[in-house]
Amino acid sequence: MKGWLPLAGIGLLAALAGTSLFLAGRHAAPPVIESGPVDATPAAIQAAAFADADGTPRTLAQFSGKVVVVNFWATWCTPCREEMPGFVKLQSRWQARGVQFVGLAQDDAAKVAAFGRELGINYPLWLGGAEVMTLSRRLGNRLGVLPHTVLLDPQGRVVESRIGIYQEEALEARLAAITGR
Amino acid sequence: MTRFFAALAGLCLAGAASAASPLADEPLDPGKAFRPHARLVAGEPSATGSERHGIDVEYRIEPGYYLYRGRLRFEVSPPTLLIGPPELPPGTEIEDEFVGKSAIFRDRVTIHLPFVVSVAKPGRYRVKITAQGCAEGRICYAAFPQELEVNIPPGYRVTDGASPPVHRGLPR
Repeated sequence: MKGWLPLAGIGLLAALAGTSLFLAGRHAAPPVIESGPVDATPAAIQAAAFADADGTPRTLAQFSGKVVVVNFWATWCTPCREEMPGFVKLQSRWQARGVQFVGLAQDDAAKVAAFGRELGINYPLWLGGAEVMTLSRRLGNRLGVLPHTVLLDPQGRVVESRIGIYQEEALEARLAAITGR
Repeated sequence: MTRFFAALAGLCLAGAASAASPLADEPLDPGKAFRPHARLVAGEPSATGSERHGIDVEYRIEPGYYLYRGRLRFEVSPPTLLIGPPELPPGTEIEDEFVGKSAIFRDRVTIHLPFVVSVAKPGRYRVKITAQGCAEGRICYAAFPQELEVNIPPGYRVTDGASPPVHRGLPR
């Protein structure tokens, strides 16, 4: 009879620990999706051509020297839109510290423009064709999904490739680590 | 009793490990999340009493995933087999504050691709699909291609006369 008491205690403790970890897991950030290898040089990344809402050609070379947060998204992608209000706040807070956000989408120009206005997006939303997802895949998006966020250092090198929602707090911590501020 | 507690502890620890593992909830490859199957429909009765001829594409969709109804595209190759506009069920309507109303498919859906000619040349055809969908609240799949094969056996012929034959070549 006495023999099972310690085991019962261990069982109860494990149950409590397991339950609390499980509950914590449910409320914590979504699990990180492993990204694939990066197959693009800084020169290739900066040479990729896009267009802004007015149709003016754009490349990431214009942000050379800054930490660039490249966000691959689409207007129809609900998880993409969940993370964007956080990006707007971070762009405001980190602009003066040399951080630049850019949204890249293979989407309808009018929809993107309307979306940018309605959500008060304070960073450029550029458009492209199939090359948008091609670049995304070359930057580690092995699943070909959205959202996908890539952090480039001031030399244009990939510092991080994140598949799935990038939560504001986690991204801010990463920016602080990259910029050393 | 001892076994009960040991089993309970094991289950809880396994659950905790699963919740804590960063790759425990990896999104499925689109080919596994959205599994289409094609079937030749030859002379089956329709709701209106006429016969149906064409290809049924049935999608089996994993729980937690959905397909956008309005973003499905179908093409048959070689294009000698002509299909009409796909017949899609209404799906489940969702409302998005930015996109507005759209319809999605969950679980299972069958899309009918009707033949528009009364005689289909026997042979092997490829149904090329472009689809878009999401894993609920996590990620969305940019347009992804899928391909299926359908075989039209020798002797297959549409007999209901519902669709007039398309005459080709010079008029007699």
